[in-house]
Amino acid sequence: MSIGRDQVLHVARLAELAVDAQELERLVDQMNRIVDYVAQLDQVATEPQAEAFLPGPSSVALRNDVEGAKPLARLPSELAPEFREGFFLVPRHGAMEAP
Amino acid sequence: MSSAVSIAKETAARLAKAEPLNATLHWSEELLAAEALRVDGMDKPGPLAGMPLALKDNIVTVEQPTTCGSRILEGYRSPYNATVVDRLRSAGALVAVKANLDEFAMGSSTEHSAYGRVKHPVDPARVPGGSSGGSAALVAAGVVPAALGSETGGSVRQPASFCGVVGVKPSYGRVSRYGLVAFGSSLDCISVFGRTVDDAARVLSVMSGHDPLDATTIDRPPMRVPLTRSDLRGLTIGIPREYYPPDLHGGVAAALVAAQNRVRELGAQIREVSLPNSAHAVPTYYIIAPAEAAANLARYDGVRYGVRRVGTEGDIRSLYRATRGQGFGPEVQRRILVGTYVLSAGYYDAYYRKAQRVRSLIAQDFREVFASGVDLLLTPTTPTPAFKAGEKTEDPVAMYLADIFVCPINLAGLPAVSIPAGRSEGLPIGAQLIAPAFEEEQLLAAAGVLERAMSAEAEVR
Repeated sequence: MSIGRDQVLHVARLAELAVDAQELERLVDQMNRIVDYVAQLDQVATEPQAEAFLPGPSSVALRNDVEGAKPLARLPSELAPEFREGFFLVPRHGAMEAP
Repeated sequence: MSSAVSIAKETAARLAKAEPLNATLHWSEELLAAEALRVDGMDKPGPLAGMPLALKDNIVTVEQPTTCGSRILEGYRSPYNATVVDRLRSAGALVAVKANLDEFAMGSSTEHSAYGRVKHPVDPARVPGGSSGGSAALVAAGVVPAALGSETGGSVRQPASFCGVVGVKPSYGRVSRYGLVAFGSSLDCISVFGRTVDDAARVLSVMSGHDPLDATTIDRPPMRVPLTRSDLRGLTIGIPREYYPPDLHGGVAAALVAAQNRVRELGAQIREVSLPNSAHAVPTYYIIAPAEAAANLARYDGVRYGVRRVGTEGDIRSLYRATRGQGFGPEVQRRILVGTYVLSAGYYDAYYRKAQRVRSLIAQDFREVFASGVDLLLTPTTPTPAFKAGEKTEDPVAMYLADIFVCPINLAGLPAVSIPAGRSEGLPIGAQLIAPAFEEEQLLAAAGVLERAMSAEAEVR
């Protein structure tokens, strides 16, 4: 399997990642090395119906839909320049635009 | 002068002296002093009273920034503490030091931090291992008695081995991941470094236990500090042949032969076993972990966290791409690209689904060996001692192979510990013990016996 420049750029667009043109050649080379290496798994015999292994509790329980989230260590009012009656105060719409 | 205050002052002096290692990202005398006053004022100081701890900087804290060693999180400060931070502080630990790491915990050498590489405490030309290299270096240099790291594919045991300290990875689900910045969610585990097995066990016992804020923590009582054993009688220790390849570094091989001899002298039975699918662990890991990373790191887009870069086209997608392109370093970008590639249409079955099936085989091997009457497994932690800085940075696959003996355990979700087993040409070597899931108490009791019986500072031949 060989990955070309166009394929790397396509994947970079999918990943929302701007790739430096000067770095592209090196990235193509390293991507090929990595993908060639991991492709060896193709030779491992596996059962098509085998279930994926998931560590941890055998059945990850969904939380109940009840309130009780951990309170923030800092109140929202401490995180904002201006906060009044439960609202963040922001500049009036258009106030920051040039006249 | 109260005890915690004097400990804080001594710790600050050691931190200042250790600055050339570049192992810390954030600490201050003021915060250490405030922590000490808090502990001295506690009615019941707890089992870690006055113990200074360093945290890998991917564990969120209110009082200090959390950068993950990345430019993209520059200036980010969490509005909440990780569960482990709250538990450690309640037990009396002084939490005021954030340690350097490979960016977003992706690396095996701590050369991939946006804030510069961490130096090995014995030989500054070498790496301390990674990705929790800052935490390992601080414990090895005697700055703190214990530190937290995180493991996705061996990022605590590997640097513990390189630096000559103890590194414990708990079972997946034993410790809450709430507040650990996500990398590979089915693999990530907050883990512990200690000067000794006992130090690490005490920290782990405080951190462990069910957390309603992390649905993947298991609902069972916290781990207890294991009772001290005097020998290993009654235990069967498995030696998996795949972890002792013919080309194993001579010093590592000699250290493990010496460790096996100590195990026999301490009364355990030794049995050769096979874990055939562990040979596929590194390629399996380097499909699953980047795939999960690509999804987890999608949230860093310049809108919600950290820095923002406006792209040339001036629209929102250009902003995302510019922010991520300039904010992430090369190793993180590589892994995001590989993860996106293996998850993309046309390649998902060939790579990701296949890797999931091989992961099942790797885990099944461990289950079968433990079901056959083996209590613990003994292996080298790493194939070589610490390598030189820059030696593997141009060849990502060579770097990944540094994790060959540690990442199978992450894929199987098992607990394991690396303990110092001697030195080769002055560089530390680690021996790894692996246990069945949630058998940390037996694992650490046996590791404590072996630790006392081995000469960690002695040259092996």
